[in-house]
Amino acid sequence: MSQPILSPVHYSPGLWRLAAQRLWSDAIGRYSFLVVAGYLLVVVAVLFGWVAQDWDREVAVNYAPPSGWVTAANRVVVPPSTLVVSGPVPLYGWTDPLEPQWSQAQTYARTASREAPHYLLTLPFGADKWGRDVGKKLLKGTQTSVWVGLVSALVATLLGTFLGALAGYYGRWTDDALNGLYGVLTAIPYLLLVFAVAAVFQQKGVGTLILILGLTGWTGVFRLVRAEYFKHRSREYVLAAGALGASHGRRIWIHILPNVSHIVLVQFSQNLVGFIKSEVILSFLGFGVPVSSVSWGSMLNEAQNELILGKWWQLAVTAVAMAIFVTAVSLLTDAMRDALDPRLRQ
Amino acid sequence: MRKAVTMEWRTRSRCWGLILWGCLCCSLPGQAEENLKVLHVAISSAETGFDPVMTSDLNTAAIEQQIFESLLTYDYLARPAKLVPRLAASMPVVTEQGRTWTFTLKTGVYFSPDKVFKGRKRELNAADVVYTLMRFMDPANRSPYKFLLDGKIVGLDERAEQARKSGHFDYDSPVAGLQVLDPYHLRVHLKTPDYNFGHAMAQPMMGVVAREVIDAYAGDTASHPVGSGPYQLAQWVRSARIQLVKNPYYRHEVWHFVPTQDAGDQRVVAQMEGKVIPQIDRIDIQVVEEAQSAWLSFGKGELDILGIPAQFSPLALDHDQLRSDWADRGVRLDRIIEPAIAYYFINQQDPQLGGMSPARIALRRALFLAINDDEMIRVISKGQAWRNAYPIPAGVAGADPSYQSMLNFDPVLANRLLDEFGYHRDASGYRQYPDGQPLVVRYTTGVSSQDRELDEVMKKSLDRIGVRFVSEKLKFPDIIRAERQCRIQMRLSGWIADYPDGDNFMQLWYGPHIHENNASCVQDPEWDRLYEQTLTLPDSPQRDALYHRLARRLELMGVTKVSTSSVRNVLSQPWVLGYKAHPILPSVWSYLDVNTSHGSGH
Repeated sequence: MSQPILSPVHYSPGLWRLAAQRLWSDAIGRYSFLVVAGYLLVVVAVLFGWVAQDWDREVAVNYAPPSGWVTAANRVVVPPSTLVVSGPVPLYGWTDPLEPQWSQAQTYARTASREAPHYLLTLPFGADKWGRDVGKKLLKGTQTSVWVGLVSALVATLLGTFLGALAGYYGRWTDDALNGLYGVLTAIPYLLLVFAVAAVFQQKGVGTLILILGLTGWTGVFRLVRAEYFKHRSREYVLAAGALGASHGRRIWIHILPNVSHIVLVQFSQNLVGFIKSEVILSFLGFGVPVSSVSWGSMLNEAQNELILGKWWQLAVTAVAMAIFVTAVSLLTDAMRDALDPRLRQ
Repeated sequence: MRKAVTMEWRTRSRCWGLILWGCLCCSLPGQAEENLKVLHVAISSAETGFDPVMTSDLNTAAIEQQIFESLLTYDYLARPAKLVPRLAASMPVVTEQGRTWTFTLKTGVYFSPDKVFKGRKRELNAADVVYTLMRFMDPANRSPYKFLLDGKIVGLDERAEQARKSGHFDYDSPVAGLQVLDPYHLRVHLKTPDYNFGHAMAQPMMGVVAREVIDAYAGDTASHPVGSGPYQLAQWVRSARIQLVKNPYYRHEVWHFVPTQDAGDQRVVAQMEGKVIPQIDRIDIQVVEEAQSAWLSFGKGELDILGIPAQFSPLALDHDQLRSDWADRGVRLDRIIEPAIAYYFINQQDPQLGGMSPARIALRRALFLAINDDEMIRVISKGQAWRNAYPIPAGVAGADPSYQSMLNFDPVLANRLLDEFGYHRDASGYRQYPDGQPLVVRYTTGVSSQDRELDEVMKKSLDRIGVRFVSEKLKFPDIIRAERQCRIQMRLSGWIADYPDGDNFMQLWYGPHIHENNASCVQDPEWDRLYEQTLTLPDSPQRDALYHRLARRLELMGVTKVSTSSVRNVLSQPWVLGYKAHPILPSVWSYLDVNTSHGSGH
């Protein structure tokens, strides 16, 4: 009996699959990917309210030291409760325009149960000046900072890719005009530009931050993508597509874009690091997140005065969290570039 | 005088009196300057320009105090602050039961050189004083200190009224109440006896100017200060650096003050008695908004005089005594009660929070009730302040430390009040107006990290009662401008005594002072009527009774909540000679000296 001989099936693994394999086989790439994934998990968890929703609750005494680091110098004495129930005061001859509601409310307030809140004397990561848990603040701050970095990097990358593609593909006056815009933006020192845009917006908030960073940060992506399109637009496969009747749009977005997408991806992760650092700087200088939120930058800002008083924990945990993340993303970016473009390895 | 409030917390002390944290460098690099005495000081917020008639903040006044001279001033050492002559040769002669004040000017007082004088020495005379006083009433100047003269001098208000109609103030024809007897004698006729007129004449903004200078620099008088004081403006980089040098035409004045019982007065007198004023050649003033920078500079020995920013007081003080690490270096601590208040106000003309309907009054009272002053004192001021609910602080005539506020921290009461007046919570847990509009409070602070702490306090307070918080960030000079234009919604403001009398504080809520110092923009006829009565009374139990009614009505109407008063802690380096913190004078640089042979650390 003879059985049909099954010829072994040859899959030709795609660019992305190969890149993923190369990335995973690289120890640095693997670990940095895991670290970044861990942070993203935190972002998602906080974003959906699974953890750290109550980060601004005051659970401990002011500047409660981290557990295990309690010393004579930083031990906090619990302050006496400051709740003074107000009694009637002399009105010096005036009649209260809010009577009788005022007296009723006062009677209610006097009889209302007021339990003195119980404050912890120590927390795993310590407490800030209002007695908020630095650990939870860190989670919330991580979410804000990474989220701002991610979304603004996305905005900047999309914008840069779109404009870069148009400039590189069409050339001529489109290229000239967009290059002009690029020139203007890059002629201004980056932080000055960011401050100028921040001043224009006038309003503080995470959305504003994202817009500021996104609108000022697309130039790097633009330059690289434009150069790639310049190269690709006269390649044979593009010409062939044109000959088969593909429209310009199709050639730009369907044919060329996948071939330059690895550059876009690397740029995205580089921007991510850059924007997180920019957010920290902006918040540190007071242009960043409003008081209703917290980010790495605002935590570092608070920590500058605390450190002088010997309250080091907020600075320490924020700096460590930020250093790990920024390093991991940078290493991951390197590994991705290696994985996506093996020729660079040589 | 308006002081940056945020700074009260952080650095208030620096702005008080001797402003700032200052630093004194005894030796600068360079051979030529080897023996030049330089006082380096820093101010906590940007200056607002050097035309005295237009300024009202403490930092600018500190500089003007050195450039311009008023008729009277306060004794350097005497406490409580005591009026003494400055431009006047002696204390004024007061006759007609306090209605006529006759001043005799010193002779040989010259303005500092300026090109307007074409090389001639220009002597200051009585007509200059009259011109200076008239300027306060000129509507074109919009002077924030007009209240010092408003309704006081015979014929001057009529002149101002005339100017409002014609658009032109007539400086040329004489005013009945301002009588120039001869170049050195001036007689002022008041409409009614005024017990504070002497204090008014001691204010730095009453510094005498020359008419030809003001006319020559019309429109830009703020950058051409020409006065008769010990110093003149040498260099001005806006919002960054100001340099003062000795006025070469300054008259011969000798340091002579009588020591009091205060500890340290003997040392001050021993160091300074008989020296010619001023001793220091140059005052170098920098704008340093962040308290930490100033604090670190002082620690490095680059700073000379430093009002300790409140948040750093644990590093300098131990149970209110100077810590030994500083004392061992020879650093000295001056600790005085600040004649100042920090008060929350709400703009009564604001469309969202203003108005006199019971519902709005209830809303404002609830906002004040939600603020935990004790927590602010503990966490932000580090214990260098105390709860003072009365508009007049300790050390000022009319103060009442035992006054009971009706707006003490009580979030339960605040919430109940809002419930009763129909500010119900929506689905998100935040309250809305009875008509369903969202309820948002816009709170204005400066741009430093200390201001962020004030923001946090307010955010926490509003969260307690379910009101949304929006922050508005402005630079200090912009805040002042916005206040005068009634564009602020809510703010923690500060006021330090110009002179040690309660009237200086109560005038902050007087209706006609809107667009000047009435930052709450409140116009309450009943209140104004009572206030006008207080003006006719000396410091007395009758006046105190009226002041208590005024203070209570401010709370009843939800106009203001006086929050805290505080201590001023000033550090000075061992090489500073003759320093004593003054509660009223905005700066005392001309009374100081530096020991150039003492190593200053740089």
